[in-house]
Amino acid sequence: MKRPNMQSTWFTPSIQLPRDSRDTLFMLFVIAWVLAPQVGHLPLWCSVMAGSALIYRAYLAWHTRPLPSRWWLRGVLVLTVAATLWSHKTLLGRDAGVTLVVVLLALKTLELRARRDAFVVFFLSFFLMLTNFFYSQSLLTAGAMLVALMGLLTALVNTHKPVGKPPLLESARTAGMMALWGVPIMALLFVLFPRMAPLWGIPSDGMSGRSGLSSSMQVGNIASLALDDSIALLVRFNGEMPDQSDLYFRGPVLSDFDGKSWTALQSSLPERLQVAADLRGQGTPVNYQVTLKPSNHPWLLVLDATPEKPLLNGYQVSMTPELQWVTDRPIGDLVRYTAQSFPKFTHGPLTYKAGLQDYLNLPTGFNPRTAQWAKELRTQAGDGEGASAQLVDTIMNHLRTGGYTYTLEPGLYGRHSADEFWFDRKLGFCEHMASSFVILIRAMGIPARVVTGYQGGKRNAVDGYWVVRQSEAHAWAEVWISGQGWTRVDPTSAVSPGRTGTFERLQREQGAIGTALLGTVNTEFALNLRAYWDAANNSWNQWVLNYTQGQQLKLLENLGFESPNWEDLIYVLIAAVVVASLGAALWGLWDRHHRDPWLHLLERASARLRRSGIDVAPNSPPRRVAEQLIQQLGPDHPGAPALKDWLLRLEAIRYAPPVAGAKPSNGLATLRRTFKQLPWPT
Amino acid sequence: MSNATTGEPDRGRFWRHPIRRLQRRFRQWFESRLPLTDSVTLTQRSVYILPTGPGLMLGATLLLLLVASINYQLNLGYMLTFLLAGTAMVGMLVCHGTLRGVSLHLALPSPVFAGTSALMEVQLQSQRRSTRHGIGLAVMGSGHWAWCNVPAQGVCTLQVAFQPARRGLHRVPTLTAETRYPLGTFRVWTVWRPAAQVLVYPTPEVSAPPLPLASAHAGDGPATQSSVAGDFDGVRAYRRGDPLKMVVWKKLAKADELVSRDSVHALGVELWLDQRETGLSHPERQLSRLCAWVLQADRLALDYGLRLAGLDIPPASGEAQKKRCLQALALNR
Repeated sequence: MKRPNMQSTWFTPSIQLPRDSRDTLFMLFVIAWVLAPQVGHLPLWCSVMAGSALIYRAYLAWHTRPLPSRWWLRGVLVLTVAATLWSHKTLLGRDAGVTLVVVLLALKTLELRARRDAFVVFFLSFFLMLTNFFYSQSLLTAGAMLVALMGLLTALVNTHKPVGKPPLLESARTAGMMALWGVPIMALLFVLFPRMAPLWGIPSDGMSGRSGLSSSMQVGNIASLALDDSIALLVRFNGEMPDQSDLYFRGPVLSDFDGKSWTALQSSLPERLQVAADLRGQGTPVNYQVTLKPSNHPWLLVLDATPEKPLLNGYQVSMTPELQWVTDRPIGDLVRYTAQSFPKFTHGPLTYKAGLQDYLNLPTGFNPRTAQWAKELRTQAGDGEGASAQLVDTIMNHLRTGGYTYTLEPGLYGRHSADEFWFDRKLGFCEHMASSFVILIRAMGIPARVVTGYQGGKRNAVDGYWVVRQSEAHAWAEVWISGQGWTRVDPTSAVSPGRTGTFERLQREQGAIGTALLGTVNTEFALNLRAYWDAANNSWNQWVLNYTQGQQLKLLENLGFESPNWEDLIYVLIAAVVVASLGAALWGLWDRHHRDPWLHLLERASARLRRSGIDVAPNSPPRRVAEQLIQQLGPDHPGAPALKDWLLRLEAIRYAPPVAGAKPSNGLATLRRTFKQLPWPT
Repeated sequence: MSNATTGEPDRGRFWRHPIRRLQRRFRQWFESRLPLTDSVTLTQRSVYILPTGPGLMLGATLLLLLVASINYQLNLGYMLTFLLAGTAMVGMLVCHGTLRGVSLHLALPSPVFAGTSALMEVQLQSQRRSTRHGIGLAVMGSGHWAWCNVPAQGVCTLQVAFQPARRGLHRVPTLTAETRYPLGTFRVWTVWRPAAQVLVYPTPEVSAPPLPLASAHAGDGPATQSSVAGDFDGVRAYRRGDPLKMVVWKKLAKADELVSRDSVHALGVELWLDQRETGLSHPERQLSRLCAWVLQADRLALDYGLRLAGLDIPPASGEAQKKRCLQALALNR
């Protein structure tokens, strides 16, 4: 069927859609844009259904066909509610809610009849934009949602132009201008609106799907992180920074081994017998600030070793006996804290203590060959002073020279992971090495434990921040040596010195596509680009995502408040609103008086004449006023010629082309001056 | 003034409904305060603003977004919420500015017959340097909106119609202009009482009886046939409005002056449309019939006079006569 408005000749291929169809298609496109980032988090059926609803609606709009009946839609809605219930086992909660709203929005587009329906679509879309932020608040997401907001506002503005077929670009410009004027209001509210605690607690599903360190280490965990290029934390050093090889960020310490996985120590000893941290810093400390991405774990990553509490608002911070800093609740948002660390330090008891036996436990029935080997080594070394240190050296030498390889793909390990590592495969990632190393050391009767965290980082030349990515997750060992206390030993550095020294990273082999994409690109250029992107992302984190109540109160302190609280924030907000309203009122006043000076003068003259009983019609141009004047005063009136002359000059100033060189306002000023001296009729 | 001109029928049950009654009272009181003027420039004082239903819905959405941002600690959510709120606030100002500063001028409406629609032509004028979008105009309470965009420093013309219920001279109904541009979250409107009055003629009777020629004076009727050729008594100077077929063209050719046949003499009758001779008793229906007759006589280009109680309009023909007669009929008490 050919539509009558389809005027497609060979030289104008563009199809002239009717306004309704065009507006609907535009709106569908914007909705698709809002929904697209959600697809990864939605059940498959939901994405497919929403997509087909939108496509079907677009088809109807393109061919200007009627919408499906309400009963049909209701049927689909009931089905989708059932499907949601089936997918999420509930209709409440975040994920189920988002699924439902997506379905509702998609179905609502099939029910766009009245303007009310359009508004429902708009408001659902605004809400869905927010739900995107559950999953990502990155700069990229922000940019995409800004585009979506502009699209929605454009559609909204367009809806309210009832006449003709207004160009979308014009509506977009209006929407853009309005949003631009809205930015100061947004900034004010963003800065001053008190950041409250969650109204009913952070929902438990708020953090799902985030990667990072884990509270237990199973062989293979960290290897999966190694390919995760997202940023874990950002560090800025104030003053001197430590050696690159000292950049060990301490995370969970894992001391219990059940044969398969390492977990935190569950000591059976009473607390007074457990080994205290007993940290002693040496030399000069380094000062730095850490911005930590939300991990949903109560860990503060700090450099080894930090004796003083890191400064962090809103959380209770304490140190475990294993030197790890933890908070009282999981970190659900971006946090920033300052800390002071000693790159040179000792900790733990210097002489053997009762509690140290916790770090000797090994499950029976695992790794028999390693145990056997440990016994041999032990016997060779003897029992003398410094035997432990010597044994550690021996093993590190063995790692260095024994043909061990650092690799991301060591293959699957079986039940006796340490045996396989030491004798069969000789391949491993840091977790294999740390785990096997600690098992061996413990089997020799020396207390040892696994420490996980991040090692290394890369300085962004653009903004000077050190970026630590998830791929820098690392596991190393700590061995207790008599007279030295706990000592860090990194078996990985023995196998692959570059891993800890110059931060060389294992890279997955680039496939054909990767080579095709990157091979031709100037890698330095690409690296620079990435540095800028990271810097932009980092400022985004620093200024926007990390803007917390602490930052707000600090701002108030800078404004001169002593020990401000959130009530002060309200006061400042109210004050700002009052000032803004006053400003607006003043502007309105100014605007009223600041009118076209020409018109203003004419109006004054008309008003003056009306007061003397001369009937001057409103909106008369000066020449007409003059005519009315002469008509009513009579041509013989003594003042009439002067008044007429004045009015005609006024007209000339308004309409005569400006004379080159003469200031256009000059004549007007003269007219204004002579206004009072004119022979006004009484 | 009665409310009949607003086109809203008086219903008895309105008066029993206390809220409706109060609303009506309020509207009457409100409108009575407005000045009567045919030209008005809208200012801060004459422009009103209130959120619309969707506006309140947007408010609820913003609250929901805010709660979600607080609960999930989403700084980006705060930004979205506040940017949307800021834009809506700016939208409010833009909406107000769209109507503020517009000048409205009403052209004098032409007379109409009762029962037909009177057109009011309103000029909307803008001094602003940008287009004002989506301004609607309607007779207050009618719900029939006419929309236009007022171009930058330009004028647009809108027509709204209303149906006067009765003959006579009526003030045109109260008008209202509104805009919801740009976001539809606010309604900005004004109420305007033009001073202009519209003259409403009686409804011409449908299929009225033929003109009462029989009852004409000097009733010899067809005797006039004799006086057709060369009867120069029946000639007078041309008057504006004389039908062309009455012009003596021969005379024009000879003497270079326009001369009309004196139709009264030519026909030998005087056509008087007399209220008492309509054969009807109801005064309004009498007027209706007279109205129909006036139109008929005018169409036939006859000379006719109108005789109402206490008013005689001497016979004549032409547009002026028609107007005079219709006006007399409209204003007859």
